[in-house]
Amino acid sequence: MRVLDLILADARTPTGGYAHSAGLEQLVIGGADAGAVPGFVTARLRTVAWVEAAFAARACAQDRVPDLLELDLELAARVAAPPLRHASGRLGISLLRTALRWWPEAGLLLGYQDRSELTLRPVVLGAVVRCGGGTPLAAATISLYEDAATVCSAAVKLLPLDPALASAWMVRLADEIEALSARATAAAAGGELPSTATPSLDRDALVHAEHPRRLFAS
Amino acid sequence: MPVESRSLRIGVAGPVGTGKSSLIAALCRELGERLQLGVVTNDIYTDEDARMIRGQGVLAADRIVAVQTGCCPHTAIRDDIGANLQAAEGLDRIHGPLDVVFVESGGDNLTAAFSPALADVQIFVLDCAGGDDVPRKGGPGVSRADLLVINKTDLAPYVGASVERMLADAHAQRDHRPVVAGSLRGGSALAQVAGWVQEQLRLWRAGRLVSVDPGPPAPHGHGGHIHQHA
Repeated sequence: MRVLDLILADARTPTGGYAHSAGLEQLVIGGADAGAVPGFVTARLRTVAWVEAAFAARACAQDRVPDLLELDLELAARVAAPPLRHASGRLGISLLRTALRWWPEAGLLLGYQDRSELTLRPVVLGAVVRCGGGTPLAAATISLYEDAATVCSAAVKLLPLDPALASAWMVRLADEIEALSARATAAAAGGELPSTATPSLDRDALVHAEHPRRLFAS
Repeated sequence: MPVESRSLRIGVAGPVGTGKSSLIAALCRELGERLQLGVVTNDIYTDEDARMIRGQGVLAADRIVAVQTGCCPHTAIRDDIGANLQAAEGLDRIHGPLDVVFVESGGDNLTAAFSPALADVQIFVLDCAGGDDVPRKGGPGVSRADLLVINKTDLAPYVGASVERMLADAHAQRDHRPVVAGSLRGGSALAQVAGWVQEQLRLWRAGRLVSVDPGPPAPHGHGGHIHQHA
């Protein structure tokens, strides 16, 4: 285990994730209770989160800015709802800003910062893991872990819930996260990147963005 | 980012309902013709503060942006400031650079303080109706914000609050740092705060602004020697 991977997975590292619920807030607005959360997390992991993990793993294998920019475009094409692309871009900029305080001279990150118009978080994450000497598998694992952790920590704020139970959900998901990380890494090493979508997340994101009483940015 | 290429960022923090949004709206009205201004709000439950300031018509609607903080207003101004920085820098990029961007914290507790990486200077807002013992209780904002505003002094007689006591306690907590007490509805308080804002801008442009981070623990002594941890 590498400390850098822990730093990147740690919510205390300032990358803006605390303000996002990964779609859970809209689900709760729609009437979901705590019992629905583990299924929601699993659905995300197997669809949108695994796609993002594959992109993080692929980005981690790139050492040229144009290849990262290409991944930006490829991933944006897989995210139908503009608010979700926007949220990913904000999170990507936050992570990139923080990583550039770690490594102000990192040429790959600086070049990407100059030229990327989308700055989607999975692409940034992969590039940052690479700059820290990490592996595509680490990038995929962090990406999937964080997706699940974002939902579970938001659940504690949105629902009547023992925080220890939310962490128990994470523990029960650990094997699945590891298996999906390996699959995403294998997919990233091959040709076409995955494009599994959950249309209800896109639809809900459009509704959420217009909601006048939301706590979370997404 | 070099100083010249961005606005002076003034943080405004303080408990819920003390008048942070009203103060910012009033400052925009007071200074909006002389200065290019922007506002970032951190509403907790809604984008109500942003809509309230927009509704006053004191600034163009696109000069006011709301940032959601996922129930963590203190995190957004202190521990993880990226979203607020992006919002402030976005205002500068689109409209500016502006002269001043006000960053309004979501109403929070007395321990809230802005990161020096987000706010160049900060105002902490209290009000008489929140209890006249608050300045005595202290906290980083009360004790060490660059400016303390005690608002709604006109309500003091109705809630049994002593403005004199609040001022005395505030001055005792704050060494020689400035305090403005008054009501935004009238009197000279608003002009005093507006004057303070302009003075901060002047100092900042001259490269002489020394902001004090109110966040660290209070100054304390070891064997009679008083120091403050960096």
